[in-house]
Amino acid sequence: MNILGEINCFGLCLKVSELASVVALLIVISIALLAASFMIRMPKHRLLTFVSAQVAAFLAIISTFYLMKCDGMLTIYLYFGYAVVSTTVIFGGLRFYDRFIIKRLNAKPIGNVIGWMQEFTGRLANATVYYYDSAVPKAFAAGKSIFVSLGLLELLSDDELRAVLAHEAWHIRNNKRMPYLKQLAIMTFSSPGRGELEELADRFAAEIAGSEALLSARHKLDKVFI
Amino acid sequence: MVKLDQINISNDGLTKFFSPIEAAILRTLWIEGEMMTSELTEKTKIPLTSIAGTLDRLVKAGYTARRVDNVNGRVRYVYAPVYTEEEVASEITTRIMDSLVDTFGRVAIENFSKYSDKK
Repeated sequence: MNILGEINCFGLCLKVSELASVVALLIVISIALLAASFMIRMPKHRLLTFVSAQVAAFLAIISTFYLMKCDGMLTIYLYFGYAVVSTTVIFGGLRFYDRFIIKRLNAKPIGNVIGWMQEFTGRLANATVYYYDSAVPKAFAAGKSIFVSLGLLELLSDDELRAVLAHEAWHIRNNKRMPYLKQLAIMTFSSPGRGELEELADRFAAEIAGSEALLSARHKLDKVFI
Repeated sequence: MVKLDQINISNDGLTKFFSPIEAAILRTLWIEGEMMTSELTEKTKIPLTSIAGTLDRLVKAGYTARRVDNVNGRVRYVYAPVYTEEEVASEITTRIMDSLVDTFGRVAIENFSKYSDKK
């Protein structure tokens, strides 16, 4: 069946099916939630509405497929393959991503050099802090590991380092939930709300280390830590 | 060596062979010897955001060595030049002369001998 035929089939099936109104409703809900997520100020609520919009969009896709009666449709096979591959990559791959980074950066546990940093992070999240050889100040989280460059350790005061570590620890704590958000976004062809996550991580960091330390760290780094 | 594959004859001094930041770092290290990152940014007046990546590159290329100093729970890099100014000059001239002789053969050698006659 060619693509035009498939599109015709989609239209026909939607017209004759009783589920058509459900699909339409789900799409309207999804768009409304997405619009709301842009207007809401609170990052936590914004994230929640964004996720709900994703769920509604995903349900719309699923019910559309359910009401399709045509056989051997390429688009359905393609989407199914896409869903399977992306799920495997997100849930399987991300778990080992930090192992890969440790190897590539030749990163070493920071516990050997600066004891308090591992202790402090250990209290906030189940994560190991690694440092790596680079003068470029940078910090990031992957899997169950936090990576900081030696340039960062050099540049920041202990208070500012605490703010950075708390920020990254928040990411690790929420990483368990993140795959679902990422996976939903991939299934519905949208991008996950990165800005909200950063804002929430910053809020947590300010709570733990004080907003002054966070601000001065931000000022020094000017967005090099994510 | 870092940029010896791209030579800008119209540039001044070391920036013929290195980027301006690379040249500034090397010159400062040759004068001062061992230096911390903060001292380097102060002396060269180049902000850390620009200098940090270049330092990584110079270390990787083998021009600059750095060790990690751990004092009272604070870590910091200490940089030092690997080669002296003369060694770098010798390396650069050798490589350029090699490529000149390689390309122009006898003509290049005749021109070199003119230089040694002048001396």
